[in-house]
Amino acid sequence: MFIPFFYSLRRAGIPVSPTSFLRLQKALAMGLVNCVDDFYTAARAILVKSERYFDLYDRVFARHFKSIEFEVPDPWEWSELIRTMLESWLRDPGGLASALGISEEELGKIPPDELIDRFLKLLEEQTAEHRGGARWIGTRGTSPFGHSGYHPGGMRIGGISRGRSAVKVAMDRRYRDYSQERPLTTSQMGEALKRLRNMVPAGPKDRVNIQETIYQTMKKGGEIEIVLDRSLRDRLKVILAIDNGGWSMDPYVEVVQTLFNYARAQFKDLKTLFFHNTIYDYLWEDPPRRDKPYPVEELARLDRETRFIIVGDASMAPYELMATDGSIHIEERSGKPSYERLRFIAENFPHSVWINPIPAQDWPYTTTIGLIREIFPMFELTLEGLEKAVAHLMADS
Amino acid sequence: MDGETQTGRFTGASKYVLDEELAKIVNVSIALEMPLLLKGEPGTGKTMLGHAIAEALGMRLIVLNVKSSMKLVDTLYQYDTLTRLNDSRFGDSRRDVSNIEEYIKMGKIGQAFVSEDRVVLLIDEIDKADTDFQDDMLDILDQMEFDIIEIDKTIRAKKRPVIIITSNAKKDLSDPFLGRCNFHHIAFPDPEMMRRIVDVHFPNVAGDLLQSAVETFYRLREIRGVEKKPSTRELINWIRALRGDPDFHVKDLAKGDIPYLGVLFKKSSDYRVARNGVARFRP
Repeated sequence: MFIPFFYSLRRAGIPVSPTSFLRLQKALAMGLVNCVDDFYTAARAILVKSERYFDLYDRVFARHFKSIEFEVPDPWEWSELIRTMLESWLRDPGGLASALGISEEELGKIPPDELIDRFLKLLEEQTAEHRGGARWIGTRGTSPFGHSGYHPGGMRIGGISRGRSAVKVAMDRRYRDYSQERPLTTSQMGEALKRLRNMVPAGPKDRVNIQETIYQTMKKGGEIEIVLDRSLRDRLKVILAIDNGGWSMDPYVEVVQTLFNYARAQFKDLKTLFFHNTIYDYLWEDPPRRDKPYPVEELARLDRETRFIIVGDASMAPYELMATDGSIHIEERSGKPSYERLRFIAENFPHSVWINPIPAQDWPYTTTIGLIREIFPMFELTLEGLEKAVAHLMADS
Repeated sequence: MDGETQTGRFTGASKYVLDEELAKIVNVSIALEMPLLLKGEPGTGKTMLGHAIAEALGMRLIVLNVKSSMKLVDTLYQYDTLTRLNDSRFGDSRRDVSNIEEYIKMGKIGQAFVSEDRVVLLIDEIDKADTDFQDDMLDILDQMEFDIIEIDKTIRAKKRPVIIITSNAKKDLSDPFLGRCNFHHIAFPDPEMMRRIVDVHFPNVAGDLLQSAVETFYRLREIRGVEKKPSTRELINWIRALRGDPDFHVKDLAKGDIPYLGVLFKKSSDYRVARNGVARFRP
């Protein structure tokens, strides 16, 4: 009976499994859910497995069960609701067109402002007089809570508490901060970096060191002394190269530095190097990029299995990347453009990624991002991006 | 396993301020016999919840503190070979060396299974273990049985325990794992909730101290660049320190004069950042 809700969640991108949906049905059948508030809470606990989807869940819930609320929401709620509804409906022009009572072709000709007007008008009409059934946008007449008095499984429609109904709670968007599209903040860093920890499983002390055991036992005159060792697992070597110059990286420097400081303890060998915009003949071991140059050629002598992680916005004037004398440092005149240097690094280290603090949707607008993406797999500096980057670094290792 | 066990409804405990939503989730999970996975930043009361449920429902609590080096079998049982070896050599114990069963010791999950009464099994910080550990553990909790290979015996849960699992990480757990749990994320308490929590710990704390301390606490949490923000535990200790200091006046807090910062910020780098941040509080 809640199947439309289930599909709404799936369509919104929340990975709801049929098994968990059946489990929810079981909870309903057991009488654990007695009002909409209960339903809101129980369904979320059973269906949604990450707080990153809580915000989305709230929005879907509010949209889906809105029809059971007859209070007029305040203007802010309205605009928010309309925005989310429109967004989702625009993905389904056919449905939207039929809800507005026009053809799909006509829909394409309506300017956005007028579209919103029409939409609002329809919504107002429905707030004034809820007709239940097919006219209500978003439910397509499949709402389980029509006013026909349908009381499935003991669900009490009238039992909504006035002060803090589930729909109100859902519309508060309390979990907006957790949603996964947001860029990383310092407070999230610690969490995100636990992903990097996965790269270096430290073994338990579970191997008997036979040589040492025999020796120690002999030494103690036959008193058995078992010596245990950690099972050997190679810890990773990592090079982090960080763009720490230029105003465009400024907002991210704090976040990135936390990332590096935290990561320091996680690896067998971590080398942090710095650069500005892109890499020419040298990287730098000191953050001001003045005293300790590190020739790019040196990298060739390092272990190929080293993970090479570059953090930078990859944004600059194209000549900085392509020209043979693109570097602002006068001593860097090897005649090799940065582009070639980056290729050299990528060839040396099969496991390399570029992490970019700029949101992926903006990447197509910057030429150099496109060029660098041809060399390195690029990921966003977000929780999701970091996860993907780590997965990529760990692939076929 | 006895699915019919009547277990009371959880409505909070003496030292635990429960929000209504969480109570519902706990009760649904108990009724469905599903493990409940709790996430949230440290200090949001995840571990405390396990204790509170046990207290409220009058059940024994078994805590499994997960460590990164832990192997799953250790949580089930241990075959104490060393004691057996020693017994066989010295022969001065009352144990029967030929009976391996005498040398099998139950781990935390094993204890929960063999218990005659229904218990609360709190699996704390599951994210410390690796994915295989997590998935295999859920398999066992799903089937409610495991084998002891040394004595070729299967241990089945007498009463299905109430299982609470906590995790600090935001997304560390595999999909199969998540699929078998109910899930809740405990948000950091808002100031109103925090006042109630403090109130439970210090029922006779002066109203103005409570107000100022909580207010200051949330301002301190806002300081940028702090790696480990102070949590509920630190706040409670801090209030304890403030109350114990005869020279302390509540008005000082409003003036930006904040004593015992070290109780709130335990990392030296955070302490330094906080010191500098506090300077800006002064009017």
